[in-house]
Amino acid sequence: MTALHILAYVSVSVFIIAVAVRAIRLATTPVHLRWELYPVAHEKDRMSYGGSYFEDKDWWTTPRKKSLFGELKVTVPEILLLRGVWEHNRPLWLWSFPMHFGLYLVIGFAILVLVVAIFGPHNGIGAIAAQAGRIVGPIGYVLGTCGTVGLFGHRLFSRKTRGFTPPVAYVNILFLLTLFATGLYVFISIPDPMRGFSAFGRELLTFTAGAAPASAAVVHLAVVLSFMMYVPFTHMTHFFTKYFTYHAVRWNDEPNLRGSKLEAAIRRQLTYPVSWSAAHVKADGRKNWADIATDTEVE
Amino acid sequence: MAGKVNVRDIGKHPERQLTHIDPQELLPLPPPYDRTNEERPWKEITQEQKEAVVSNLDDTIALGVPKPGTREEEERLVELFLSGLRKLLTRENNWTFLQPLLLSLEHCTRCQTCNDACPIYEASGRNDVYRPTYRSEVWRRIVAKYIRPGGKFHGVFTQGDIELNWTTVSRLMELSYRCTLCRRCAQTCPIGVDNGLITHELRKVFSQEMGIAPKEIHEQGSMLQLKVGSSTGMNPLVVRDNIDFIDEDITEKTGITIKTPWDKEGAEVLLIHNAGEILAWPENPGAFAILLEAAGISWTLSSDVAAYDGINYGLWYDDFQLARVAHKHAEAARKLKVKKIVIGECGHAHKALAVVADRILQGDLNVRRESAMTLLEDIVFSGKIDFAPSKNDFPVTLHDPCNMVRLMGVVEPQRRILRYLAPQFREMTPHGVNNYCCGGGSGFAIMSPFNFRDWRLSISGRKKLRQVLDAFADCPGPEVKKYLCAPCSNCKGQLRDLFQYYRVWEKSGILYGGLAELIVNAMVDIKGPFIEWEFR
Repeated sequence: MTALHILAYVSVSVFIIAVAVRAIRLATTPVHLRWELYPVAHEKDRMSYGGSYFEDKDWWTTPRKKSLFGELKVTVPEILLLRGVWEHNRPLWLWSFPMHFGLYLVIGFAILVLVVAIFGPHNGIGAIAAQAGRIVGPIGYVLGTCGTVGLFGHRLFSRKTRGFTPPVAYVNILFLLTLFATGLYVFISIPDPMRGFSAFGRELLTFTAGAAPASAAVVHLAVVLSFMMYVPFTHMTHFFTKYFTYHAVRWNDEPNLRGSKLEAAIRRQLTYPVSWSAAHVKADGRKNWADIATDTEVE
Repeated sequence: MAGKVNVRDIGKHPERQLTHIDPQELLPLPPPYDRTNEERPWKEITQEQKEAVVSNLDDTIALGVPKPGTREEEERLVELFLSGLRKLLTRENNWTFLQPLLLSLEHCTRCQTCNDACPIYEASGRNDVYRPTYRSEVWRRIVAKYIRPGGKFHGVFTQGDIELNWTTVSRLMELSYRCTLCRRCAQTCPIGVDNGLITHELRKVFSQEMGIAPKEIHEQGSMLQLKVGSSTGMNPLVVRDNIDFIDEDITEKTGITIKTPWDKEGAEVLLIHNAGEILAWPENPGAFAILLEAAGISWTLSSDVAAYDGINYGLWYDDFQLARVAHKHAEAARKLKVKKIVIGECGHAHKALAVVADRILQGDLNVRRESAMTLLEDIVFSGKIDFAPSKNDFPVTLHDPCNMVRLMGVVEPQRRILRYLAPQFREMTPHGVNNYCCGGGSGFAIMSPFNFRDWRLSISGRKKLRQVLDAFADCPGPEVKKYLCAPCSNCKGQLRDLFQYYRVWEKSGILYGGLAELIVNAMVDIKGPFIEWEFR
């Protein structure tokens, strides 16, 4: 087993564990007060103009009409095409879209590599995956390289972002650029990279070691695996935390109904002790949230 | 270029203002408001005032926080600020907004997409200090460097450097009152980061930990409401007297006898107005009384302390003040055993009681709450009242209060009424959930310390003024009387000041008013016009 094999196992493990920890941490934060922002995508019949169930007289007597399709209509173009950036920041979209879409294609390429690793490159599904990978991979790397170069320039030269970009943002872009550029170089310099990548994939899946891939591929794989370890500790985790910003905050319009689980959760939180210092709050570290919120005496 | 300010500058040069506002750079207004030499000079802040209070952010002062007398006092306040930031990130002290806050803390990509959505940033001529991201960036850097473990190295690398001192804290304090919390920026964020929320949470640190908030929204606002009953200063006796006067006036004016019911147990509707209406725009509660009586609805007002004033300023700066006032509103409804609370024409009262306080009200305090917009729509289309839309045959446009529309989703009921009762109704661009704030949101409409009034009318209200003027571009002169329907008391306060400041009534003939008045104006049973075409 080579250092590259060990790196692969470590980076995949770190990625999965770190993402899970972060997701669990976010998912287990207390139920918060409502802070939705309209349009709310699951509002059936009202999404087009941003309306809510509050538009109904005696809304609590009307069954709520929630639409999963409505949410998909927003989330799918948002994820695939970056519709929000397209609508509100077109100069950024010009670079951000190729970078993101390139990354999707590279992830797709990695999946195809694993399919070939499992089924072999010569027959049936494996052969189709190998052929698809030979198309998807280079396109992904080209798009990603163009996108990241453009993004770097955008960050550096746009008045909007210059001065508001922390050092790590440049590092992240350069890391991504290295990933895409080394991948592209592999496709330029090696006759059929799918063969080497899928062989490496098979070794990982079967816990064996074979002949080392070409050195350009080794460099690229090392970059990819290092990037996987790095991502969960950066703001690039927005690839999954966006689920929370949309579903748990922006579209969270769940009303507090008597006897509901939501009401019970909040009731528990109302027992939390409060220690804010301002005199008018009247907290002492022992009184709980409910005590303070119902203390309406003013001297 | 004017308004070019680095994030790190916030902690430097305490003796200087961080930025200046250049009238030449402000968003242009259409004729006849386009002559910059006619921009009103701002009230001057005296040297004495500058020496006494924090005044080194921009050309105005919102808070008037006294300058600390000693270095030790400055250090104590900085420590208190840090202690507040730590509490903000704990479950116990801030379960109310912890999850959204963490999401906005950790996932901004600094793409600056949100900036152009901000009417203050745009109207200022794109001054960096007014970017929605400026104060958020300062906050993120402070958290990363001074709160997180290993922040002095890791935080500086990941977020960028910042120096935390009294200059940073005091400027940030002022800067937290340069945003109206309209959350238009959040709407455009591809990630879902919310700079409005960050402003809200910063205000909480200043209020809940340091005891610092604008006196208009704290001492004279939520505290006065809890003590006396209303931020207007009206106690239960005075408010009943004032409503009696309104009843008499309306009866005399319309020939319809009105007697507002008080504390009627078992009523279907407990109506809670913003008490500012009772003093400043009495025709609005009067119009509601006419409509509810004509529709045969069982309704009442409450004379319990705080329950006859729908305002809840805690929404803007302090979770506990929000919860306390919401409890008072709900207690009054429970006591009267009403079927539901209907929130009058006040945007922030809508959001506070119907949305944000929703999860705080437990058990039988969770009385059902509804917008006046839906009730008015139900009345208008119930067939119980005859209307003659021709009585409203003048140009009308609609202002969307952010709290009621973008932040609550009550968009169409008021429009259905206007399409029916106002033949010349036209929309602003943009409108609905994409509207622009009036510029008086988050407490600004009632704040005029030092020269803050100049700032909120020249800058934060500028975009709305342009939008209103554009909506009536086909009939710009004062000879055609026009109506800006603004179903929100705070928005009306801001629009009144804005129109006075720019002499909009004289130059363009635009009157602002509520929705209920416009509905009553179209009633067949009301002989004369209900709307009086006089600017007040």
